[in-house]
Amino acid sequence: MRVNYLVYILISFLTFVSCKGRIKEEKDDKIITIKGSDTVLPLAQMEAENLMKKNKEISISVIGGGSGVGITALLEGTTEIAMASRDLKKKEKLKFREANMDVEETLIAFDAVTIIVNPANKVSNLTEKQIEQIYTGEIKNWKDLGGEDLVIVPYSRESSSGTYDYFKEKMMDDKNYTSDVLSMSATGAIVQSVSQTKGAIGYIGLAYMTPSVKKIAVSFDEGKTFVLPTVKTAKDNTYSKSRPLYLMYEKGNSKKVNKVIEYFLSVEGQKIVANIGYVPLK
Amino acid sequence: MRKKFQKFQEKFIEGLLMLSGTITSLTVVLIIVFLFNEGLGVFNNKPIDEGYILAINKSNSVKKLSALQIKNIFDQKIKNWDKVGGPNEKIVLINIDDISDYYTEIQLGKDFENLHFCINDYINKHKGVIAFFSESSLPKKFLGKVINIDNIKLSEFLLDEEWFPTATPVAQFGVKPLILGTLWVSFGAVLFALPIGLFAAIFLSEIAHKRVRNILKPLIELLAGIPSVVYGFFGLVIIVPLIQQVFDLPVGETGLAGSIILGIMALPTIITISEDAMRNTPRAMKEASLALGASKWQTIYKVVIPYSASGITAGAILGIGRAIGETMAVLMVTGNAAIIPHTLLQPVRTIPATIAAELGEAGAGSVHYQALFALGCILFIITLVINLTVGFVTKGKNQKKH
Amino acid sequence: MYQETKISRQKRRNQRIAFGIFTFFSYFIVAILFSILAFLIVKGFGAISWEFITEMPKEGMTKGGIFPAIVGTLILVIGSMIFAFPIGVMAGIYMTEYVKDGWIKRFIKLMTNNLAGIPSIVFGLFGMALFVNKLEFGDSILAGALTLGLLALPVVIRTTEEALKAVDNTFRQASLGLGASKWQTTRKVVLPIAFPNIITGLILSIGRVSGETAPILFTVAAYFLPKLPTGIFDQVMALPYHLYVISTSGTNIEASREIAYGTALILILIVLICNILANRLRKYLSKKVKKY
Repeated sequence: MRVNYLVYILISFLTFVSCKGRIKEEKDDKIITIKGSDTVLPLAQMEAENLMKKNKEISISVIGGGSGVGITALLEGTTEIAMASRDLKKKEKLKFREANMDVEETLIAFDAVTIIVNPANKVSNLTEKQIEQIYTGEIKNWKDLGGEDLVIVPYSRESSSGTYDYFKEKMMDDKNYTSDVLSMSATGAIVQSVSQTKGAIGYIGLAYMTPSVKKIAVSFDEGKTFVLPTVKTAKDNTYSKSRPLYLMYEKGNSKKVNKVIEYFLSVEGQKIVANIGYVPLK
Repeated sequence: MRKKFQKFQEKFIEGLLMLSGTITSLTVVLIIVFLFNEGLGVFNNKPIDEGYILAINKSNSVKKLSALQIKNIFDQKIKNWDKVGGPNEKIVLINIDDISDYYTEIQLGKDFENLHFCINDYINKHKGVIAFFSESSLPKKFLGKVINIDNIKLSEFLLDEEWFPTATPVAQFGVKPLILGTLWVSFGAVLFALPIGLFAAIFLSEIAHKRVRNILKPLIELLAGIPSVVYGFFGLVIIVPLIQQVFDLPVGETGLAGSIILGIMALPTIITISEDAMRNTPRAMKEASLALGASKWQTIYKVVIPYSASGITAGAILGIGRAIGETMAVLMVTGNAAIIPHTLLQPVRTIPATIAAELGEAGAGSVHYQALFALGCILFIITLVINLTVGFVTKGKNQKKH
Repeated sequence: MYQETKISRQKRRNQRIAFGIFTFFSYFIVAILFSILAFLIVKGFGAISWEFITEMPKEGMTKGGIFPAIVGTLILVIGSMIFAFPIGVMAGIYMTEYVKDGWIKRFIKLMTNNLAGIPSIVFGLFGMALFVNKLEFGDSILAGALTLGLLALPVVIRTTEEALKAVDNTFRQASLGLGASKWQTTRKVVLPIAFPNIITGLILSIGRVSGETAPILFTVAAYFLPKLPTGIFDQVMALPYHLYVISTSGTNIEASREIAYGTALILILIVLICNILANRLRKYLSKKVKKY
């Protein structure tokens, strides 16, 4: 009895110690990991779910974290497919080149970056310049934009998000956000906050649009024409701030991931894109 | 023989127990080693991306730029070189990512093999240029001038007021707003939770009937079981709009919302521990006090509270620890704007929220990654200081008493 | 003597005011709890069904169940306890029964207190640096469970210490006097008496561990896995992380809201059941002990 007790303690110690020595097992050939952008996350999960229903042999894990996370993981070889809501940065391209990796970027859908405000806000048109000025802190009150005398509360995503980068690069001329921008960890939180804060403005992917917030029509030609972001305007490029969503993988790995990529691009896969609320390729 | 075995066994078990006894110390040491090893690395690095440089035209007299100046230049807030001690020349920005706007793909080459040529050309042509590109594309015979950027200094790290860890070309690592944000929110939380927690602890241990206590205590402990994410959403949907209305603010995501949520989360810790301590007051001491004619209330604050002071402080420590380190709930209700707070009615960004939100993006080993570990170090030091101070205070009190 | 003096009347008034405040705030805290619970039940009750807890997520997490997340959380809780409970209890025994008063004891106590004060996100950072990166466990159950285990250690150690301290010294003296060794005394006399209270520590730490998000964020949690884990180097889904992602990510937040609150309810139910179970167990065991 007493000895049993000792043995138990010994064993638990030994297992603990022996665990330390083990190195990660080789990954199963059939398991494919998709990692990266939170924007693509719901889409990838849905596609993976349907593909696995059809093809019982494939097993797909979907892990979020942000576009940068996925691309880093691809570089480190801890994921087979990276999902990204932006193009590879020049920096990242150089890194892949240094690592002798040939990365294939497959365009799977588009997303229109949508500016939203509280439904009670009277302002419904903004020019690109005005949006930039709001987020760099130059305009701080809605009355300067033809609205009521109300402090503007700008909401942004966290810096790990591809949307954050995209918005900074394309809407703000690569200037930095002002420090008093409120950053939310997820798009859902932005929608929630904008819907309950009267002076709020935020940016989200078109797919996240709900009736509890109001879309802003944006002018890309200094106020001559204003365009509302919709699937249609994003498709025909009259709303020019639609951004590409990618799956990225190493070319040497293409045999393994091909089925997944093909499925995303198939008629069925593109139908899911539309269902989720993103803009299909065709 | 048997006796020998038994003796050996005793020794063996004692050794084993001692080993286990040291586990916490070992863990703390390991945490210090790993945290500081990564975190201090930030001071051996430049805030610019590794392998990247900033260059200007040879005729430009500027030699050095601070991180903040560079940020303002690239934000187009500084538009002329004379503002940073250079000649009166308009600043022309060029980022390597946009170089294809100025040169055709044929000029650049298919694999950017002629990139260095184009860079040389561009920098030489524009007097006011400041260019940002990778070291590997630096031409061998460079016609421009590379700008010196200093390593990140501890003083800058602690005192700078801007936190833009992903800003290009030069990241801003000023943690002052984050430290202040964390402290404001946590002390707000404890200010509100400690008295209420103590009241409840006294009620539970000294006043309530056994039956009431048996119902209330598990209920209060249940508060600790609610995951912080739920608190976050509860706060976002209920408390944030409430604060906005009550104080008539433009935005409800404020330090106060964080403080209230954290206060609620710290309550069960404070209550459970101080109540346990109070109930451990020897019955004889209480009865002696009552027998001497003291009222129940007098007994509580003259006998029970002093006796359980160390337990109450322990509860408060854990409460503060929980508040300072709480991540998910704060992430969702405080707005996370990295500005220096002046009141609790402003959005704030705390250290844990920053780590949780940004660690995923920062690639292992990058400056940003190290900066986040440095934030972890700061968090660690803050909690260590609090623990040590309180430990010191309770010890001093106990010694005086005896 | 029979006349009430002014002082005692004032005393009584003070007492009434003080007690009134204490009572009010105690119930106020309970009211907070109930408002949160009511909020969750109203929002999430509709989601809960047998399918909800036994099925995989479906239709982009807006339908189906949360089975893998429940399993994941259970695995993490068990894993962390396998590590933390024996070591924590042994450390507690060492602190109360073995080590003599002195700087070693003070030092260990100080370190345990410090460890308890370290924020969970720092454990997350540490777990990522040590287990995930340095020891190359990768994002895995092992890394997550060890991180959570370290987090739970101080709770287990503290409650063990408290429980052992509460055991009357006469028991020890009697046992030692009969010629039993120190370890025999501890194992046969002290531990059985303290056992019910030690169990409280276990339960408390289970409650803490099952709701933690920050430490598993970078060590084990996954958004969506098609299969249950097969080994300790697999990633798992976990309830708190699942709740976090489905309540903030996903394009159709409104549609997944119900599931989010359902998940929160399940999480709270697990904690509730744990607590009730613990209470029952404690009562049952302490009765059994009293019989001796």
